[in-house]
Amino acid sequence: MRKIILLIIVSICILFVSVFILPKFINPFNLDDTGSQIIFSIRLPRVIVSILMGSALGVSGAILQGLLRNPLADPYILGISSGATLMAAAGLIFGKIIFGLFTIPLLAFIGAISTGIAVGIMGYKGGGLLPERLLLAGIGIGFLFSSILMLLMSISADDPYGLIFIFAGFLLSIWRVKGLNALILGDEIAYSLGFSPFKERLILFISVGLMTASSVSLGGIVGFIGLLIPHIVRYFVGSDCRFLLPSSALAGGILLCMADTIGRTIMSPTEIPAGIITAIIGAPYFLYLLRRKEIMGV
Amino acid sequence: MGILDLKKISFSYNREEFIKDLSISLNGGEFIGLLGANGSGKSTLLKLSAGILSPQMGEINLWNKPLHHYKGKDRAKLISYLPQMLDINAPFRVIELVSMGLYPYDILPQLSPEEAIEMVGLTEKKNSSITELSGGERRRVFIAMTLLQGAGILLLDEPLANLDIKYQIELIRLLRNLRDIKNISVVMALHDINMAFQFDCVYIVKDGRLIASGEPHEIIAGELLKDAFDIDVTISDIFHPLKPIK
Repeated sequence: MRKIILLIIVSICILFVSVFILPKFINPFNLDDTGSQIIFSIRLPRVIVSILMGSALGVSGAILQGLLRNPLADPYILGISSGATLMAAAGLIFGKIIFGLFTIPLLAFIGAISTGIAVGIMGYKGGGLLPERLLLAGIGIGFLFSSILMLLMSISADDPYGLIFIFAGFLLSIWRVKGLNALILGDEIAYSLGFSPFKERLILFISVGLMTASSVSLGGIVGFIGLLIPHIVRYFVGSDCRFLLPSSALAGGILLCMADTIGRTIMSPTEIPAGIITAIIGAPYFLYLLRRKEIMGV
Repeated sequence: MGILDLKKISFSYNREEFIKDLSISLNGGEFIGLLGANGSGKSTLLKLSAGILSPQMGEINLWNKPLHHYKGKDRAKLISYLPQMLDINAPFRVIELVSMGLYPYDILPQLSPEEAIEMVGLTEKKNSSITELSGGERRRVFIAMTLLQGAGILLLDEPLANLDIKYQIELIRLLRNLRDIKNISVVMALHDINMAFQFDCVYIVKDGRLIASGEPHEIIAGELLKDAFDIDVTISDIFHPLKPIK
C-alpha cells in the first residue's frame, strides 16, 4: 500500500513539473496571457495525450503478458502497433471517407485486430499457441509493416477522436479482470473456475486492440512502455490484475509524460520523440530484467 | 443414476482414440483413485468429466442435466478440476491466488481464503509470492483454491505428485474428512500404486477403456496390474498398507 501511495506522489510531482516547469518555468500563481496560453493550449493537451497513450500501452502490455502468459508480450513486439499504424496511415492517405470522424482510430483498430489474428495464426501449432512462435511472428510482421510505413511516411496522425477508444478499452479490461487473472493460471483452471477461456481472451484482445489503436492514432508508435511498465508495476503491486491494470495505467501514463517532457526539454527548442527517450530508459531496464530470474520465471 | 454420469463416451483427437466407449457413474461421497499407465487416458477422462474436453460420442450428465448446458459459474460451483501441470510464472501472492476460488460466487460461501490456506498448512506463507514456493507448496496453494471453490465433485489430476509423503497423507486425510463432513466426491488420478489403498474404490484405465473397478484389495492384484502397466508385479506384504491412514 505504501508503495502505491509513493507511486501516486511521484506521479503528481512529474505532472506538476511537466505542466509548469519544463522546458521553461511558468509560475502557476502569477499567470500572464502568454503563460496561460502555453499551459492550456500547448502543455496541458500534450500532457493529457501522453498520459493517456502511456496508460493505454501500459495496460495493453499487462493484459497481453497475462493472456499469453509471457513476460515479453506487448503490443509493439507482437506487431499489433505496426498493424494499427499501417491502417491509420492508410486512413490519413485516403482521407476520412469510410467512418467519418472516427476513420483513423477505427482503421487503426481493424489493423490492430487483424494483425493480432495473423500473428496468432502464425504462432499456432499443434493445438496451442507457442509463445516463441508468436513473438517471432510478431517481430517479423512488425518489421514488414514498419518498412512499408517508412515507404509511406513517418506517421503521427495526431487524431484526437481515438481518445474515447482508450476509455472503452480500459473499461472492457476492468470488466473482465477476473477472467484475466484466471487465464494467467492456465486455460484449464480458468475453465474450472467457471470462465470460458475463448470468450475471455476475445474480449480482452478487443480491449487491447482498442487501446493500441487509439494510442497509435494519437501519437504513432511508442515502444517499450507496454513491455516495461507491467514489470515495474508488478514489483510494486504484485500480479493480481485488479491492482496491476489500474497501476499500469497510472505508471504508463506518467512514464510517457515524463519521457515527453524530457524529450522537449533537453535539446529545446528541438524535440526528441518520446519513443526514443522511453527506449533509452527502457532498454537497460529490459536487459536488467533478463538478469533477474524471478520475474515471471523466465 | 449418479451425480455425474458418463455414458458410453468416446473421445479422439488427430484420429487417435483416447477414450473408447467408457461409462462411469459417480455418486455423492465417493472417494475414487484412478490408476493407469502413462497415456492410458486418465487425464483425458478427468478433462472430459470436467467439461474441458467434449466427447465425440456419448453423453455426460451432471445432476441429470447435460454438462454443457450449465453456465460456467453454475458448473464451477459443482465441479472443480485441478490439472497435473501447474506451470505458472506470475508472482501472485498465496492469498491472492487462493481467493480466486471465490470467482464463481456472488454471495460468498462460508469458507474463507485464510481457512482454506490453513487447511493445507500454508498460513505462515500466505503473503509469500508463489514463485518463491517449492513445487509441493505450490500444489498445496492450488489445492486450497480448489477447496475454497467448494464444489461437491473434485477431479484432481495427480495432486500427490511432488508432494512429500507427509503432505500426501495429509491431503488424503483432509479430502476424506471433507467427504465425511460434506459428502463431497473425489476422483484422483494416481501415479503411486501404493496410494490406491487409501481409496474406497479404484478404477484402472488402459488404452482409453475401464478395465477394472472395485475395492483396492480386490483390484491391486498381480495379473491386473501386469495388464494395466505392462510390467511384472509382485505384491509384497511389506508395501501393502491395507489399512487406510486414519
